[in-house]
Amino acid sequence: MAATYHLQVVSLDGLEYEGEVQKILLRTIDGDVEILARHTNYCTAIGMGTAKVVLEDGKERKAACIGGMLSVMNGEVRVLPTTWEWSEDIDVERAKAAKAKAEERLKDKKLDNEARIRAEAKLYRALVRIGSSSGHDHLNDQ
Amino acid sequence: MAGSMKAVKLRIKSVQSTMQITKAMQLVAASKLRKAKERADESKPYLETMLETLTDIANGNTDYRSIYTKPGENDKKWLYVVIAGDRGLAGGYNSNLFKFVEAEIKDKEDVTVLPIGKKSVEFFKHRNIPILTEEYAEVAKTTISDCFQIAKLICGSYGGGGFGHVFLCYTNFVSMLSQVPMSTSLLPLSDLSSDNKKSDGKPRDLILYEPNSETVFDAIVPEYLAGILYTSINISYASELAARRTAMEAATDNAEEMIETLSLYYNRARQASITQEITEIVAGAES
Repeated sequence: MAATYHLQVVSLDGLEYEGEVQKILLRTIDGDVEILARHTNYCTAIGMGTAKVVLEDGKERKAACIGGMLSVMNGEVRVLPTTWEWSEDIDVERAKAAKAKAEERLKDKKLDNEARIRAEAKLYRALVRIGSSSGHDHLNDQ
Repeated sequence: MAGSMKAVKLRIKSVQSTMQITKAMQLVAASKLRKAKERADESKPYLETMLETLTDIANGNTDYRSIYTKPGENDKKWLYVVIAGDRGLAGGYNSNLFKFVEAEIKDKEDVTVLPIGKKSVEFFKHRNIPILTEEYAEVAKTTISDCFQIAKLICGSYGGGGFGHVFLCYTNFVSMLSQVPMSTSLLPLSDLSSDNKKSDGKPRDLILYEPNSETVFDAIVPEYLAGILYTSINISYASELAARRTAMEAATDNAEEMIETLSLYYNRARQASITQEITEIVAGAES
């Protein structure tokens, strides 16, 4: 059986997960990263994407994971995202509405730069959420 | 006698109306507190884990390329983020925090404050302590996106001739009955380190940053600040409501006690005046 390690996922909404896992795969600002047991001390910032956690018993869980940081200190792995939503908890209707709204805003040619960046970020977040909940996420495209 | 009876009656009335107000405030605070406590409980693990993680990183860090990890170059310029309440009548909530902050900044020369909460703004204005911005005067209405804006503002004014240290003062929610003012260092991260002096001589565990420490910290620090601010605002708000509830409960109890003594007074005075009247009538009939 694959070696496991202790993972803690704590978002602004509280403790999302704590326990032994085999691995976690998530998208950082520098690309996708997979952490296995006995990883060296490590620290990076999380981008936007679907995270995949493989639990002790080999079961997989997926979540939309946006922003924050990932740290590995002496075998202890902590994921501190700004938002973390397990794929089964995502409100798809809301995400779709957010996507439509963001697209609508981006059509406006006169939008100033900051508002454009914000709308783009919103659109991307909505896409990540929709992707994570339906299974059509970037992890399947590879 | 009749005069004192009237005075006592008026006094009872005024105490009663005060009690009505304190009772109402207590109930409002209690019902708001339930929600606020839930949010505070949700926020607590993030705040604790975040600080723990960053302390670990600060302890192990040997990479000082990022401005956020370098021990302060502007050692004399301090920024204090002070989270207080919007309103008074919350027992010692505000004054305890301000006393705590006063003690903290007493021996520091160049202190600027970023107050959050109306009372906080008022206090530092009154003290003539420079204020970075007054925009965030309402604690109860501060949202997560406000926190990101504050974080951006702090990052912008930190380093490079700006502030050398950033501190946060808030009130920790220990329990429904106990709230304690606390302070924690936010930046630079080396302030979080417990063994600044490397006295134990143990080799530090190196940390791998990807792609490099500068990029990582540039991305992490604003989010870390926003997260910490948001969670500590939630916790402070719960503390404020708990303090108000306790204070108002005590006030209501006091008022009840006062009314009891006053009614005793009133009854005694009434009895005395009746007795006197009877004596007068009897004395008149006998003569």
